[in-house]
Amino acid sequence: MLTINNLHVEVQDNEVLKSVNLEIPDGEVHALFGPNGSGKSVLIMTIMGYPEYKVTEGSILIDNKDILELDINERVKLGVGLSEQRPPTIKGVKLKNLLELIEHKDKKGQLYVNDMIEKFNIRKFLDRNINDGLSGGEIKQSELFLLLISNPKLLILDEPDSGVDPEKLKKIGGMINESLRDKRFEKRLPSNHLNRNSGLIATHSAAILDYIHVDKAHVMINGEIKCYGNANILMDQIKENGYEYCINCQHKNNM
Amino acid sequence: MKNVSEKLVWDKIESFNNEDNIEIDFEDYSFSKLKIGIKDDSISTKEINEIDMDTLASVGVNINEDSDSGKYLLFGEKNYVAKPQFAGVEILPIKEALETYPEIMEKYFFKAMETNKNRYTKAVSETVPKGYFIRVKKNVKIKEPLHAGLFMHEEMSAMSLHNIVVLEEGAHLHLITGCTANHTLKGGLHVVVSEQYVGKNAKFINTMIHNWGPEFIVRPSTATVVEKNGFFVNNYYSIKPPRNIKMDPFTHLKGENATAKYMSILFCLPDTHSNIGGTVLMTGENSAAELVARAVNYGGTIVQTGLLIGAAKNTRAHVDCSGLMLSDSGIIEAIPGLRAMHPDARMSHEAAIGKIDTGEVNYLQSKGLDEMQAIALIIRGFLDIGIEGLSPEMEKTIKEIAELSGHGEE
Repeated sequence: MLTINNLHVEVQDNEVLKSVNLEIPDGEVHALFGPNGSGKSVLIMTIMGYPEYKVTEGSILIDNKDILELDINERVKLGVGLSEQRPPTIKGVKLKNLLELIEHKDKKGQLYVNDMIEKFNIRKFLDRNINDGLSGGEIKQSELFLLLISNPKLLILDEPDSGVDPEKLKKIGGMINESLRDKRFEKRLPSNHLNRNSGLIATHSAAILDYIHVDKAHVMINGEIKCYGNANILMDQIKENGYEYCINCQHKNNM
Repeated sequence: MKNVSEKLVWDKIESFNNEDNIEIDFEDYSFSKLKIGIKDDSISTKEINEIDMDTLASVGVNINEDSDSGKYLLFGEKNYVAKPQFAGVEILPIKEALETYPEIMEKYFFKAMETNKNRYTKAVSETVPKGYFIRVKKNVKIKEPLHAGLFMHEEMSAMSLHNIVVLEEGAHLHLITGCTANHTLKGGLHVVVSEQYVGKNAKFINTMIHNWGPEFIVRPSTATVVEKNGFFVNNYYSIKPPRNIKMDPFTHLKGENATAKYMSILFCLPDTHSNIGGTVLMTGENSAAELVARAVNYGGTIVQTGLLIGAAKNTRAHVDCSGLMLSDSGIIEAIPGLRAMHPDARMSHEAAIGKIDTGEVNYLQSKGLDEMQAIALIIRGFLDIGIEGLSPEMEKTIKEIAELSGHGEE
């Protein structure tokens, strides 16, 4: 699904990402750990195509197609969807105005949107300016709702658990799992089929992983991926020994 | 010695000053012709072609059928008034009204405004009166908006108008006045005097919509008097600006608890100069004034001014001017003004000028919108100022302004 090769990225002429390699196969969800300021958000914004993140070397492929020349919305069309950590508020633009422009035009799609509005308590946000005056948890809710209805093949979530109280975290987890459910296969496959969309979840606390199964975790430190492995084991070791552990871990030489 | 780029700035300042103080020669527009007037000054809607009707519709004026009540049109020098009229509402050409009701001259004609306020009001006072007289009788509340169209159809002609609106005690009225010209015309002179009287407990929403050709000069002078508990809303939209417009509608909140709200939305193109202000004098206790101006500038000049004067106990005022610069060549000047003349006046202002935030555009693109859709949506949000009496047609117009602006970025 996503292949990143030897990616170097500059922000305002400073190299922030240094030779990042990452592969997320179809249907797998990976976590991205790392301390604050390690470059997780830079990687995410670069995958999404934000112009202030300048790729100086390397490639990003979605389904083997190089996307570096594509605009943000063209990447969305290819199936990339982002939930931002700190999305902007936009004066006067209500969530429903944006929804009108992106929601499915067919009846079935609209029914699904309405279901999701009810299921995840979105109605109260529809008449409010996007992200304006919302709590941390509410911002995630609104972001994940927009992600959900666009049904991306690759979900990119930037710190979906930061600033979210434990009660809301469960709801956020539910929304992420709904987004990960591959709705395209629903008709042809038995109900117990486990086919999922792919995902990359940046989190420094790993709190959200209590609710979401991830296949693998990567650790980013100072703009480089220093280690990878099982998410739970890695996080236990990080909690016990700090990120220093990852710098020296056994996988380093194999990467 | 000034360097080249600095010289460009000085040149721009000079042309700004010239255009802002432009001297109009009335005779360039055969203005003296209007001092004589014409014999038969009525017109039927059948004489107006579909294209001109569509142009009128673009400024919110729908005059399609003779049976529509509450419609007035001045087509060049000719009047059309829809019959029958709503009960309790009079709409008359001003000349006919002056002949029918002598009290208009005594009570309303150049009474809110002086004849010599400026050279344009003086010029209007010297022509045969054209325009509308609208009176809503005591406690009559009209739900549907009345439409008044002021349409120019001759190249380089002049239109001189004197409009009077009277809302008696407890009356309610929403008036949409659309000013425009045949779409093939380049230039003309549009000079207006408007006097508006909002009685005790009355509510008047006045929506003015402009759509002009590239060489038009527009000079409206407006004065409104609001009595006790009266409520006055002045909405102004400019869909296509003339070459030069300067206006500073004046409102006197005379009675206690009187309210005035000015809302303006401007879309500005290269080689146009729009100086849009508003002055509210509050002498009634507890009176309140709010002025909100939004301008989207694609290369022209916009001056947003507002002066709110608190001259009585517990008067409240807020002025908010914001502009979006969508081009490198335009000018926006924001002058939000407050004048406190009483220690208990509470007044505040804000002003902001800037370009579209690329972070917001990127964010909306990440939700699947293309760049133009994202810009249009942001502009729509910028223009959403909670306008009272906004009809679905006007919402559509705002959407169109936003979309046009989005494409202006191309």
